[in-house]
Amino acid sequence: MTIPETRTTDAGLSLRPARSWLASPALRTISLTIASVVIAFLAWQFCSSVLFNPFLIPPPLEVFRTAIPMLVSGEILADVSISMTRVLVGFVTGSLAGIVIGVLLGRIRLLHDLLDPIIELMRYLSPTAMIPIAVIWFGIGEMSKYFLIFWGTFFIVLINTTAGVWRTPIARQRAAECLGANQLQIFVMVVVPSAIPYIVTGMRVAMASSFMSIIPAEILAADSGIGYLLQKSSMLLQTNRIFVALLTICVLGFIVDRIFRFFVDKVLARYMSLVSQT
Amino acid sequence: MLRVNSVSKIYDSARGAYFALDNVSLTIANGEFVCLLGPSGCGKSTLLNILAGFEAVSSGTVMFGDAPVTGADRERVMLFQDAGSALLPWLSTEENVRFGLRVRKMAKADWPATIDKYLRMVSLDTHRTKFPSELSGGMRQRLQIARALAVEPKVLLMDEPFAALDALTRRHMHTVLLDIWRRTGKTIVFVTHDIAEAIALADRIAVMSTGPRSAITRLIDIDLSRPRDMTNPKVAQLFNDIEALLAPDLLGSTERLEAN
Repeated sequence: MTIPETRTTDAGLSLRPARSWLASPALRTISLTIASVVIAFLAWQFCSSVLFNPFLIPPPLEVFRTAIPMLVSGEILADVSISMTRVLVGFVTGSLAGIVIGVLLGRIRLLHDLLDPIIELMRYLSPTAMIPIAVIWFGIGEMSKYFLIFWGTFFIVLINTTAGVWRTPIARQRAAECLGANQLQIFVMVVVPSAIPYIVTGMRVAMASSFMSIIPAEILAADSGIGYLLQKSSMLLQTNRIFVALLTICVLGFIVDRIFRFFVDKVLARYMSLVSQT
Repeated sequence: MLRVNSVSKIYDSARGAYFALDNVSLTIANGEFVCLLGPSGCGKSTLLNILAGFEAVSSGTVMFGDAPVTGADRERVMLFQDAGSALLPWLSTEENVRFGLRVRKMAKADWPATIDKYLRMVSLDTHRTKFPSELSGGMRQRLQIARALAVEPKVLLMDEPFAALDALTRRHMHTVLLDIWRRTGKTIVFVTHDIAEAIALADRIAVMSTGPRSAITRLIDIDLSRPRDMTNPKVAQLFNDIEALLAPDLLGSTERLEAN
């Protein structure tokens, strides 16, 4: 690669060539991202054709060839939308419940001391561990998936919310109190907004965990969705289609996280600066 | 008038009772500037919290005017050392002041003029839309002062408000605060461990001893005109006297540290 000799006439100060194209941060990020994908692509190809067997690891082009008709026919979209609906319903209800109960636990000492031991035990029941009982309780219909995602989300958001409420600086609450705020105002106008960064962190972690739990839930107890696509392709030894499903999960998770971040940056930005120390 | 009568404060903790304040009495006149001065752990912040109504006394009484202090009240507003914590970081400069007006239930029509008045008083009227994270340490303290003044209290209780600022900013804040005190006639109770700061500001310094069983060991009137020049022999003499007064306590705390 030749580096073009750039001359900036700006005040005639810099007549030397720009150090390199890597000097621009944006350009650098883009180039390295592309490089990362290309390297992964080559490594994948190498594993497929040299190290292992193309049946076990289908080569990238083969996977894309399989993916196109699945995309065009809407097969993937149907699975994606059904899985996403499950994640969304469970995530939203789980987050709401986690925030409401988390805020109460953070604020009401008695309630916290009463429920904390149970929560500390139950949080270790991952959604995957709950699949067998969920199937008995709710069958393999939508309700069991909503429940499992709700279950996973609820505890994560709950624990983070409680921590956030607790960590509201005493000085901030007392300052509001002596300015004339009553307990309800302190709660609504000071404590809850102070907890937002923690709540958002909890929700982001819960979103990632929902993505992880929906797959086993669909593998074991569903007749639709990405997890079911994985399961069905595995039964039929269609490794191509398994890889399409895996790639779909990667892309989907990435997109959802970006949307989440975008929303946080646009709507909640002012709440996200954690306590600034003087 | 703030009257503290034989106040004691005992904290009960898992490791046993801690006798924080022992029989403290102090009367503060309206419009007076009093500094509570002492080493760390001498209970000066505890006394300030009691004056604010955040903490109850174990024995004794605290009277504000004719009424006993039973809880926080916007007549006595506290200002904290860590303004970043005390302010609401999601609200702009202007909105932080507005928060106080909203909770004190001032008529909405009067908000703009009030906000204007107090932001001008602390020279923050050109930084209305900035968030606390975009303000310097000194500016945050000025915002805290403006927010407090806007609810029109009678007393400002200041808990080492300038201790985290650099020396130059701190001196500037002294000028700002004295100017505001002169213009508004508020009563100020100011906690500090900095002898020079106490001398620069106060009408009267209450020197406190290290805990446990902290008490006010000496009340010193300063009738020197402000601004007080540190090189003035009278001021220097005062500084040395107070330092000598505090020395045994500091020695005691070093010994305790070594014993631990």
